Amino acid sequence: MEAALLEVAGITKWYGEQRALANVSFDIRRGEILGLIGPNGSGKTTLLETIAGLLPIDAGNVLWQHSSLPENRRREVVFYLPDGVRPWDGQHVIRVLEFFARAFGRPAAELDEVTRSVGLEPVLGKRVCVLSKGYAHRLTLALALLTPHPVLLMDEPFDGFDIRQTREIMNLMRRVAAHGRTFTLAIHQLADAEHVCDRFILLADGRVCGIGSLDDLRAGIGQTTARLEDVFLALT
Amino acid sequence: MRSPDAVTVRRAPLRPLLAKEVGELLSGRALWTMLLILCPLVGYSFFQAVALYGEASAAARDQPQLATSLSPLDGILVPTFGAFYITVTLLFPFVAIRVLGREKETGALKLLVQLPHQIPILVAAKLAAVTVAWLIGLIPAATALLLWLWFGGHLNALETSNLLLGHLLYGVLIGAIALFAAAISDNSATAAIVTLGFTIGSWVLDFALAGQSGTLGWISHLSLTQALRTFEQGLFSAALVLGMCAAIVGFATLAAIWLHPGTSLHKRLTRTILCVGLAGVLLAVATQLRKSSDLSEDKRNSFPAADQRALARLKQPLIITVHLAPEDPRYVDLQRNVLSKLERIVPNVTIRLVTAGQSVIGSAGEESYGEIEYSYGGHSAKSRSTSHREALPLIYGLAGIPVPTPEPGEDYPGYPLVADGWIALPWFFVALPLLIAVAWWWNRRPPRIPAQFAKNGGQL
Repeated sequence: MEAALLEVAGITKWYGEQRALANVSFDIRRGEILGLIGPNGSGKTTLLETIAGLLPIDAGNVLWQHSSLPENRRREVVFYLPDGVRPWDGQHVIRVLEFFARAFGRPAAELDEVTRSVGLEPVLGKRVCVLSKGYAHRLTLALALLTPHPVLLMDEPFDGFDIRQTREIMNLMRRVAAHGRTFTLAIHQLADAEHVCDRFILLADGRVCGIGSLDDLRAGIGQTTARLEDVFLALT
Repeated sequence: MRSPDAVTVRRAPLRPLLAKEVGELLSGRALWTMLLILCPLVGYSFFQAVALYGEASAAARDQPQLATSLSPLDGILVPTFGAFYITVTLLFPFVAIRVLGREKETGALKLLVQLPHQIPILVAAKLAAVTVAWLIGLIPAATALLLWLWFGGHLNALETSNLLLGHLLYGVLIGAIALFAAAISDNSATAAIVTLGFTIGSWVLDFALAGQSGTLGWISHLSLTQALRTFEQGLFSAALVLGMCAAIVGFATLAAIWLHPGTSLHKRLTRTILCVGLAGVLLAVATQLRKSSDLSEDKRNSFPAADQRALARLKQPLIITVHLAPEDPRYVDLQRNVLSKLERIVPNVTIRLVTAGQSVIGSAGEESYGEIEYSYGGHSAKSRSTSHREALPLIYGLAGIPVPTPEPGEDYPGYPLVADGWIALPWFFVALPLLIAVAWWWNRRPPRIPAQFAKNGGQL
């Protein structure tokens, strides 16, 4: 089994009187696509933002290759792509892509490759604010792929894509993961998750209800042919 | 696809970040709208200033001694930049807030703080972009100065640069306050209210506490408007420049403290207290600095050169006890004509305001009211004059030194000019706004798409 790259150890997060995450622990392995599965309000976004160091936590720790990774150093290894952002929406798409590539010191050839791989060529001359939801999502996906971080955390990466586009993006993620990058995807569409993820973390009410590959989870509930949807309902 | 890099993110270049920040400013409507509003405001102020200056100059033709009071600093620069000051106070915050507020509203802030730059660098880049915006906003006022020179008007390089420095520091300070407001606010509207609270609050301080002494007087000195007045008088004050720089750095640091959403409230509050404390110490140190230079061409902030040299040699403490209420016009005269100049030149001077906290009505009945007592080297003398022509001989008498002989040729000649300011109106009301509109349109054009994408239909 691949060794843990990043470990989440007992993260707890409160919003005032409401507990959003309760002692959440799991690990992320090199080159895998990990699915964070749960209904709306289960704590997926909160969990990703705490791992990325964008939300302070009340308890717990994040380890990088078994060493503690303080909040201010998370951005050295983890890049988090939030859901529904339209970054720098007054600027043209090509300018935003070039800015990210230059900021992270990526060569022009890589910018070309990423632009093509997510299919942004038709909108490079448009302003971000006029992009459709799908293209806005492709843009943010391209920004994430332009970063050099070993671990990418993505919140609802398939939102706004049709079935064909979703498949394209999934194939792209698979290719990227094959080169050693790790994805952690917060997904509420279980069919999408089942299709792309290697392992799953089932989250309900801020608590982990199950961890493992689909086969592991099936074995856990004693149904060898169950779909992820059935497994999730059985475990939560 | 490449493999992921090693753990550490590489040292990030600054240029793309600065280009992005300036691009963000130029892509919004706020800056261009402010520029378009500035044109008629600055233009009309300039036109009026030229007209009034011309009227005064015409009078000086018949009475040449009037020419000595005609200074372009007072007659043209200050009124023209007055319109610029109003715009910077009321509209510039909206331009500056956009630099950060838009990122908060669109969620881009979460991407921004993950860039491989330190948070203070991110804030510094934003402040640099705000400074660029201020420089762009200066264009109408700068063209007014060029028009003045074209009319044959006179501008003194030192006093003009000093005034520009004052406006620059004021503009950047407003920008730093706006960044701080945007960092602590959820949306741009709240940030605008917070920033205008500072700027309009300064006006309130000005109106409510002007002329007060003691604590109220000290509070009134925190007014941003007061800071600008020193530069408008042609005075370069090290204390003021350092104080304004400390305030800029302080607000920018506060913005950096509150920028990152991942910092806990406890850490933010602790750092805020530390930052405010440090800024307070810096401001306190700044107030102790007495170094200042009179950069006005007419040397309005100094005594004649021979007196300056004689007064600078007074080594013993000079104590001046003033029996006047702070709001008494005589005190204002005395302060402007004598006290502020003595404070700048005499190495050891103490000024005591005996009636501090009392009003003119409450004090006027006292026999000593209106007296100014000068004490030096164990001797003292009293006067009721607010003019340096009477005060200085008294001081020389106490110090036992002869009254210095005035040096010839140091009188300010004055620069009268009767110019036809009408020509400025089509420039500020038509030509310049048109040029700005063209620049706006030019800036909105789609960029050139690299050839490899254009071939595939990339260019729309």
